Amino acid sequence: MRPDASKKIATVTPKSGPNPVIIGAVIALVVVLAVVVAIVIGNSSKSGSSVAQTVPAGVVGGTGGGILVNATSKPNAPTLDVYADYQCPICGKFEKQFGPSIVALAKAGQIKYVAHMMTFLDINLKNDSSARATNAAACAADAGKFIEYHSAIFAAQPVQEGAGYTDAQLTEFATTAGITGPALTTWQKCTTSGQHNQYVADVETASGKAGVTGTPTVFLNGKDITKTLTTPESLAAAVKAATS
Amino acid sequence: MELKSAWDSGRLPDLIGLLLRLILGVVLLVAGGAKITSPASSALAVRAYKILPYDFAGYVGYALPVVEILIGLLLVAGLFTRVAAIVGGLLMLAFIVGISWAWAHGYSIDCGCFGGGGTIAASQTQYPLEVLRDVGLVVCAVWLVVRPRTAYSLDHRLFG
Repeated sequence: MRPDASKKIATVTPKSGPNPVIIGAVIALVVVLAVVVAIVIGNSSKSGSSVAQTVPAGVVGGTGGGILVNATSKPNAPTLDVYADYQCPICGKFEKQFGPSIVALAKAGQIKYVAHMMTFLDINLKNDSSARATNAAACAADAGKFIEYHSAIFAAQPVQEGAGYTDAQLTEFATTAGITGPALTTWQKCTTSGQHNQYVADVETASGKAGVTGTPTVFLNGKDITKTLTTPESLAAAVKAATS
Repeated sequence: MELKSAWDSGRLPDLIGLLLRLILGVVLLVAGGAKITSPASSALAVRAYKILPYDFAGYVGYALPVVEILIGLLLVAGLFTRVAAIVGGLLMLAFIVGISWAWAHGYSIDCGCFGGGGTIAASQTQYPLEVLRDVGLVVCAVWLVVRPRTAYSLDHRLFG
Protein backbone atom coordinates (compact mmCIF):
# COMPACT_ATOMS: atom_id res chain seq x y z
CA MET A 1 0.00 0.00 0.00
CA ARG A 2 1.82 3.07 -1.21
CA PRO A 3 1.14 6.31 0.59
CA ASP A 4 0.03 9.23 -1.42
CA ALA A 5 3.18 10.96 -2.58
CA SER A 6 1.66 14.24 -3.60
CA LYS A 7 2.28 15.78 -0.20
CA LYS A 8 5.93 14.80 -0.26
CA ILE A 9 6.34 16.09 -3.78
CA ALA A 10 4.87 19.39 -2.71
CA THR A 11 7.40 19.75 0.10
CA VAL A 12 10.45 18.84 -1.95
CA THR A 13 9.53 20.81 -5.01
CA PRO A 14 11.57 24.00 -4.74
CA LYS A 15 9.41 27.00 -4.18
CA SER A 16 10.39 30.08 -6.02
CA GLY A 17 13.54 31.19 -4.17
CA PRO A 18 14.78 34.71 -3.78
CA ASN A 19 15.09 36.75 -6.91
CA PRO A 20 18.54 36.41 -8.56
CA VAL A 21 18.69 40.18 -8.77
CA ILE A 22 18.39 40.41 -4.99
CA ILE A 23 21.07 37.74 -4.54
CA GLY A 24 23.37 39.64 -6.86
CA ALA A 25 22.67 42.85 -5.01
CA VAL A 26 23.49 41.26 -1.65
CA ILE A 27 26.81 39.89 -2.92
CA ALA A 28 27.67 43.23 -4.50
CA LEU A 29 26.81 45.03 -1.26
CA VAL A 30 29.02 42.72 0.81
CA VAL A 31 31.94 43.15 -1.58
CA VAL A 32 31.60 46.94 -1.81
CA LEU A 33 31.27 47.31 1.96
CA ALA A 34 34.32 45.14 2.58
CA VAL A 35 36.43 47.08 0.06
CA VAL A 36 35.35 50.45 1.49
CA VAL A 37 36.14 49.37 5.05
CA ALA A 38 39.51 48.00 3.99
CA ILE A 39 40.49 51.21 2.21
CA VAL A 40 39.25 53.48 5.01
CA ILE A 41 41.14 51.55 7.67
CA GLY A 42 44.19 51.20 5.45
CA ASN A 43 44.41 54.95 4.98
CA SER A 44 43.59 55.92 8.54
CA SER A 45 46.64 54.03 9.77
CA LYS A 46 48.89 56.37 7.80
CA SER A 47 48.65 59.20 10.28
CA GLY A 48 50.57 62.37 9.66
CA SER A 49 53.13 63.87 12.03
CA SER A 50 53.74 67.49 12.84
CA VAL A 51 57.45 67.13 13.59
CA ALA A 52 60.00 67.18 10.80
CA GLN A 53 60.87 63.51 10.35
CA THR A 54 64.43 62.37 9.84
CA VAL A 55 66.15 59.07 9.24
CA PRO A 56 68.50 58.26 12.14
CA ALA A 57 72.26 57.97 11.81
CA GLY A 58 73.62 54.61 10.74
CA VAL A 59 70.61 53.40 8.75
CA VAL A 60 71.55 51.16 5.84
CA GLY A 61 69.48 49.68 3.03
CA GLY A 62 66.90 52.40 2.37
CA THR A 63 64.71 54.53 4.62
CA GLY A 64 63.16 51.49 6.31
CA GLY A 65 66.48 49.71 6.74
CA GLY A 66 68.11 48.63 9.97
CA ILE A 67 70.74 50.52 11.93
CA LEU A 68 74.32 49.46 11.24
CA VAL A 69 75.82 49.05 14.69
CA ASN A 70 79.49 48.91 13.73
CA ALA A 71 80.56 51.42 11.11
CA THR A 72 83.77 49.58 10.39
CA SER A 73 84.28 45.90 9.72
CA LYS A 74 86.59 43.59 7.81
CA PRO A 75 85.90 43.66 4.07
CA ASN A 76 84.90 39.99 3.99
CA ALA A 77 82.67 40.17 7.08
CA PRO A 78 79.16 38.74 6.55
CA THR A 79 76.07 40.82 7.35
CA LEU A 80 74.05 39.81 10.39
CA ASP A 81 70.53 41.23 10.28
CA VAL A 82 68.70 40.90 13.59
CA TYR A 83 64.95 41.64 13.67
CA ALA A 84 63.56 42.17 17.16
CA ASP A 85 60.89 44.01 19.11
CA TYR A 86 61.67 45.70 22.42
CA GLN A 87 58.53 44.21 23.98
CA CYS A 88 59.06 40.66 22.78
CA PRO A 89 60.04 38.37 25.66
CA ILE A 90 61.83 35.86 23.42
CA CYS A 91 63.85 38.77 22.01
CA GLY A 92 64.78 39.65 25.60
CA LYS A 93 65.99 36.09 26.14
CA PHE A 94 67.79 36.12 22.79
CA GLU A 95 69.50 39.39 23.71
CA LYS A 96 70.64 37.95 27.03
CA GLN A 97 71.99 34.79 25.42
CA PHE A 98 73.45 36.14 22.18
CA GLY A 99 73.69 39.93 22.63
CA PRO A 100 77.20 40.05 24.13
CA SER A 101 78.62 37.66 21.50
CA ILE A 102 77.02 39.60 18.66
CA VAL A 103 78.38 42.90 19.98
CA ALA A 104 81.82 41.34 20.43
CA LEU A 105 81.77 40.02 16.84
CA ALA A 106 80.68 43.45 15.63
CA LYS A 107 83.36 45.28 17.60
CA ALA A 108 85.98 42.91 16.23
CA GLY A 109 84.71 43.73 12.74
CA GLN A 110 83.88 40.09 12.02
CA ILE A 111 80.26 40.89 11.13
CA LYS A 112 78.29 43.85 9.87
CA TYR A 113 75.65 43.98 12.60
CA VAL A 114 72.37 45.52 11.43
CA ALA A 115 69.55 45.88 13.96
CA HIS A 116 65.99 46.11 12.64
CA MET A 117 63.65 47.07 15.46
CA MET A 118 60.05 46.11 14.78
CA THR A 119 56.95 47.38 16.53
CA PHE A 120 54.08 45.02 15.76
CA LEU A 121 53.78 43.99 19.40
CA ASP A 122 52.28 47.42 20.04
CA ILE A 123 49.30 46.19 18.04
CA ASN A 124 49.02 42.89 19.88
CA LEU A 125 49.64 44.40 23.30
CA LYS A 126 47.54 47.50 22.60
CA ASN A 127 50.16 50.00 23.76
CA ASP A 128 52.86 52.11 22.10
CA SER A 129 55.95 51.08 24.03
CA SER A 130 57.73 49.32 21.16
CA ALA A 131 57.35 52.38 18.93
CA ARG A 132 58.41 54.83 21.66
CA ALA A 133 61.39 52.71 22.64
CA THR A 134 62.41 52.24 19.00
CA ASN A 135 62.16 55.97 18.34
CA ALA A 136 64.23 56.64 21.48
CA ALA A 137 66.84 54.09 20.37
CA ALA A 138 66.97 55.75 16.94
CA CYS A 139 67.56 59.08 18.69
CA ALA A 140 70.38 57.38 20.61
CA ALA A 141 71.81 56.27 17.25
CA ASP A 142 72.07 59.96 16.32
CA ALA A 143 74.19 60.36 19.47
CA GLY A 144 76.34 57.39 18.43
CA LYS A 145 75.02 55.29 21.32
CA PHE A 146 72.54 52.98 19.64
CA ILE A 147 73.84 49.65 20.89
CA GLU A 148 74.37 50.95 24.43
CA TYR A 149 70.80 52.22 24.50
CA HIS A 150 69.50 49.06 22.85
CA SER A 151 71.12 46.89 25.55
CA ALA A 152 69.78 49.16 28.31
CA ILE A 153 66.20 48.69 27.05
CA PHE A 154 66.43 44.92 26.89
CA ALA A 155 68.14 44.77 30.30
CA ALA A 156 65.09 46.54 31.75
CA GLN A 157 62.47 44.56 29.84
CA PRO A 158 59.45 44.08 32.11
CA VAL A 159 58.86 40.56 33.38
CA GLN A 160 55.24 40.79 32.40
CA GLU A 161 54.76 41.15 28.65
CA GLY A 162 52.72 44.25 27.88
CA ALA A 163 53.80 46.33 30.89
CA GLY A 164 55.86 48.42 28.48
CA TYR A 165 58.28 51.28 29.17
CA THR A 166 57.54 54.64 30.78
CA ASP A 167 58.98 57.91 29.46
CA ALA A 168 61.00 58.19 32.68
CA GLN A 169 62.50 54.76 31.96
CA LEU A 170 63.41 55.79 28.43
CA THR A 171 65.30 58.77 29.86
CA GLU A 172 67.03 56.53 32.42
CA PHE A 173 68.23 54.30 29.57
CA ALA A 174 69.84 57.34 27.94
CA THR A 175 71.86 57.98 31.08
CA THR A 176 72.74 54.28 31.30
CA ALA A 177 73.87 54.41 27.67
CA GLY A 178 76.20 57.28 28.49
CA ILE A 179 74.39 60.07 26.66
CA THR A 180 75.23 63.27 28.56
CA GLY A 181 75.34 67.06 28.29
CA PRO A 182 74.13 68.68 25.06
CA ALA A 183 73.77 65.25 23.46
CA LEU A 184 71.23 64.35 26.14
CA THR A 185 69.27 67.53 25.44
CA THR A 186 69.22 66.71 21.75
CA TRP A 187 68.25 63.11 22.48
CA GLN A 188 65.41 64.20 24.76
CA LYS A 189 64.02 66.58 22.16
CA CYS A 190 64.25 63.91 19.47
CA THR A 191 62.56 61.36 21.71
CA THR A 192 59.76 63.59 22.98
CA SER A 193 58.90 64.93 19.55
CA GLY A 194 58.97 61.50 17.92
CA GLN A 195 61.44 62.69 15.34
CA HIS A 196 61.98 59.18 13.96
CA ASN A 197 58.36 57.97 14.12
CA GLN A 198 58.18 57.72 10.34
CA TYR A 199 61.41 55.73 10.29
CA VAL A 200 59.97 53.42 12.96
CA ALA A 201 56.88 52.79 10.83
CA ASP A 202 59.04 52.32 7.71
CA VAL A 203 61.16 49.64 9.40
CA GLU A 204 58.04 47.72 10.38
CA THR A 205 56.76 47.82 6.79
CA ALA A 206 60.14 47.02 5.22
CA SER A 207 60.68 44.11 7.61
CA GLY A 208 57.23 42.72 6.86
CA LYS A 209 57.94 43.00 3.15
CA ALA A 210 61.23 41.17 3.72
CA GLY A 211 59.12 38.28 5.02
CA VAL A 212 59.80 38.80 8.71
CA THR A 213 56.56 38.21 10.60
CA GLY A 214 57.96 37.12 13.94
CA THR A 215 60.80 38.09 16.23
CA PRO A 216 63.56 37.44 16.87
CA THR A 217 64.59 36.62 13.31
CA VAL A 218 68.24 36.47 12.33
CA PHE A 219 69.59 36.60 8.79
CA LEU A 220 73.22 35.88 8.04
CA ASN A 221 74.12 37.17 4.57
CA GLY A 222 70.40 37.10 3.74
CA LYS A 223 69.82 33.53 4.95
CA ASP A 224 67.43 32.89 7.85
CA ILE A 225 69.52 31.14 10.51
CA THR A 226 67.15 31.74 13.46
CA LYS A 227 66.33 28.09 14.04
CA THR A 228 69.96 26.97 13.88
CA LEU A 229 71.05 29.27 16.70
CA THR A 230 71.26 27.23 19.86
CA THR A 231 74.35 28.64 21.58
CA PRO A 232 76.68 31.61 21.06
CA GLU A 233 79.17 29.04 19.74
CA SER A 234 76.73 28.00 17.00
CA LEU A 235 76.49 31.66 15.99
CA ALA A 236 80.26 32.04 15.92
CA ALA A 237 80.54 28.89 13.79
CA ALA A 238 77.88 30.14 11.36
CA VAL A 239 79.66 33.50 11.08
CA LYS A 240 82.97 31.79 10.44
CA ALA A 241 81.42 29.62 7.74
CA ALA A 242 79.86 32.66 6.08
CA THR A 243 83.11 34.63 6.08
CA SER A 244 84.41 34.48 2.55
CA MET B 1 8.21 5.47 13.22
CA GLU B 2 8.05 8.98 14.52
CA LEU B 3 11.61 9.88 13.56
CA LYS B 4 11.10 8.55 10.07
CA SER B 5 7.97 10.55 9.54
CA ALA B 6 9.68 13.66 10.90
CA TRP B 7 12.42 13.05 8.35
CA ASP B 8 10.02 12.33 5.52
CA SER B 9 7.91 15.37 6.23
CA GLY B 10 11.06 17.50 6.03
CA ARG B 11 10.63 18.78 9.57
CA LEU B 12 13.72 17.00 10.91
CA PRO B 13 16.02 18.11 8.05
CA ASP B 14 14.67 21.64 8.52
CA LEU B 15 15.66 21.53 12.19
CA ILE B 16 19.08 20.03 11.42
CA GLY B 17 19.53 22.79 8.86
CA LEU B 18 18.60 25.36 11.50
CA LEU B 19 21.21 23.96 13.89
CA LEU B 20 23.96 23.92 11.23
CA ARG B 21 23.00 27.41 10.06
CA LEU B 22 23.27 28.73 13.61
CA ILE B 23 26.59 26.95 14.24
CA LEU B 24 28.21 28.36 11.10
CA GLY B 25 26.58 31.77 11.56
CA VAL B 26 27.49 32.20 15.22
CA VAL B 27 31.07 31.03 14.68
CA LEU B 28 31.46 33.57 11.86
CA LEU B 29 29.91 36.32 13.97
CA VAL B 30 32.17 35.59 16.93
CA ALA B 31 35.25 35.32 14.71
CA GLY B 32 34.46 38.56 12.88
CA GLY B 33 33.51 40.37 16.07
CA ALA B 34 36.76 39.40 17.78
CA LYS B 35 38.78 40.78 14.87
CA ILE B 36 36.91 43.91 13.84
CA THR B 37 37.94 45.92 16.90
CA SER B 38 41.60 45.50 15.99
CA PRO B 39 42.00 45.63 12.21
CA ALA B 40 45.78 46.12 12.43
CA SER B 41 46.03 42.84 14.35
CA SER B 42 43.91 41.16 11.72
CA ALA B 43 46.24 42.43 8.99
CA LEU B 44 49.25 41.07 10.90
CA ALA B 45 47.54 37.71 11.32
CA VAL B 46 46.97 37.43 7.56
CA ARG B 47 50.55 38.50 6.83
CA ALA B 48 51.91 35.85 9.18
CA TYR B 49 50.73 33.16 6.73
CA LYS B 50 53.17 34.55 4.14
CA ILE B 51 50.86 33.65 1.27
CA LEU B 52 49.63 36.98 -0.04
CA PRO B 53 51.77 39.99 -0.99
CA TYR B 54 52.32 42.39 1.92
CA ASP B 55 49.88 45.17 0.98
CA PHE B 56 47.16 42.86 -0.31
CA ALA B 57 47.38 40.76 2.85
CA GLY B 58 46.74 43.93 4.81
CA TYR B 59 43.55 44.69 2.87
CA VAL B 60 42.37 41.11 3.29
CA GLY B 61 42.97 41.47 7.01
CA TYR B 62 40.87 44.63 7.15
CA ALA B 63 38.04 43.26 5.02
CA LEU B 64 37.81 39.76 6.48
CA PRO B 65 36.04 40.64 9.76
CA VAL B 66 33.44 42.66 7.85
CA VAL B 67 32.68 39.79 5.51
CA GLU B 68 32.55 37.32 8.39
CA ILE B 69 30.09 39.44 10.34
CA LEU B 70 27.84 40.07 7.33
CA ILE B 71 27.74 36.40 6.37
CA GLY B 72 27.26 35.46 10.02
CA LEU B 73 24.28 37.81 10.30
CA LEU B 74 22.70 36.45 7.11
CA LEU B 75 23.10 32.86 8.34
CA VAL B 76 21.72 33.54 11.81
CA ALA B 77 18.74 35.29 10.27
CA GLY B 78 18.38 32.64 7.58
CA LEU B 79 18.42 35.21 4.82
CA PHE B 80 19.84 34.22 1.43
CA THR B 81 20.92 31.03 3.15
CA ARG B 82 22.35 29.31 0.08
CA VAL B 83 24.44 32.27 -1.06
CA ALA B 84 25.63 32.97 2.48
CA ALA B 85 26.53 29.30 2.93
CA ILE B 86 28.49 29.31 -0.34
CA VAL B 87 30.50 32.34 0.77
CA GLY B 88 30.91 30.97 4.32
CA GLY B 89 32.01 27.58 3.00
CA LEU B 90 34.52 29.17 0.61
CA LEU B 91 35.91 31.20 3.50
CA MET B 92 36.39 28.04 5.54
CA LEU B 93 38.07 26.30 2.59
CA ALA B 94 40.41 29.28 2.25
CA PHE B 95 41.21 29.07 5.97
CA ILE B 96 41.94 25.35 5.69
CA VAL B 97 44.30 26.02 2.79
CA GLY B 98 45.99 28.83 4.75
CA ILE B 99 46.44 26.83 7.93
CA SER B 100 47.71 23.80 6.02
CA TRP B 101 50.14 26.05 4.18
CA ALA B 102 51.54 27.42 7.44
CA TRP B 103 51.67 23.91 8.87
CA ALA B 104 53.44 22.48 5.82
CA HIS B 105 55.99 25.31 5.80
CA GLY B 106 56.77 24.78 9.47
CA TYR B 107 55.68 28.28 10.50
CA SER B 108 54.75 28.60 14.16
CA ILE B 109 51.69 30.81 13.99
CA ASP B 110 48.35 31.19 15.66
CA CYS B 111 45.64 30.94 13.02
CA GLY B 112 44.24 34.28 14.16
CA CYS B 113 40.79 32.85 13.62
CA PHE B 114 39.33 34.59 16.65
CA GLY B 115 41.61 37.62 16.84
CA GLY B 116 45.25 37.52 17.83
CA GLY B 117 47.39 35.60 15.36
CA GLY B 118 51.00 35.91 14.36
CA THR B 119 54.04 33.99 15.47
CA ILE B 120 53.83 31.85 18.58
CA ALA B 121 56.04 29.18 20.13
CA ALA B 122 56.16 25.99 18.07
CA SER B 123 54.76 24.03 21.03
CA GLN B 124 51.65 26.22 21.09
CA THR B 125 50.53 25.61 17.51
CA GLN B 126 47.21 23.82 17.09
CA TYR B 127 47.08 23.09 13.40
CA PRO B 128 45.20 19.75 13.55
CA LEU B 129 42.49 21.18 15.79
CA GLU B 130 42.12 24.32 13.69
CA VAL B 131 41.85 22.35 10.46
CA LEU B 132 39.39 19.90 11.99
CA ARG B 133 37.17 22.70 13.23
CA ASP B 134 37.11 24.34 9.82
CA VAL B 135 36.36 21.02 8.12
CA GLY B 136 33.36 20.67 10.43
CA LEU B 137 32.20 24.12 9.43
CA VAL B 138 32.61 23.26 5.74
CA VAL B 139 30.28 20.31 6.34
CA CYS B 140 27.71 22.71 7.81
CA ALA B 141 28.08 24.96 4.76
CA VAL B 142 27.76 22.08 2.29
CA TRP B 143 24.51 20.90 3.90
CA LEU B 144 23.09 24.41 3.65
CA VAL B 145 24.17 24.81 0.03
CA VAL B 146 22.57 21.49 -0.91
CA ARG B 147 19.48 22.04 1.22
CA PRO B 148 19.12 25.72 2.13
CA ARG B 149 15.60 25.19 3.50
CA THR B 150 15.78 25.49 7.29
CA ALA B 151 13.34 26.04 10.12
CA TYR B 152 12.63 29.58 11.33
CA SER B 153 14.38 31.31 8.45
CA LEU B 154 13.73 34.74 7.02
CA ASP B 155 14.02 33.14 3.59
CA HIS B 156 10.91 31.13 4.38
CA ARG B 157 9.00 34.14 5.67
CA LEU B 158 9.95 36.47 2.85
CA PHE B 159 10.03 34.20 -0.15
CA GLY B 160 7.83 31.29 0.94
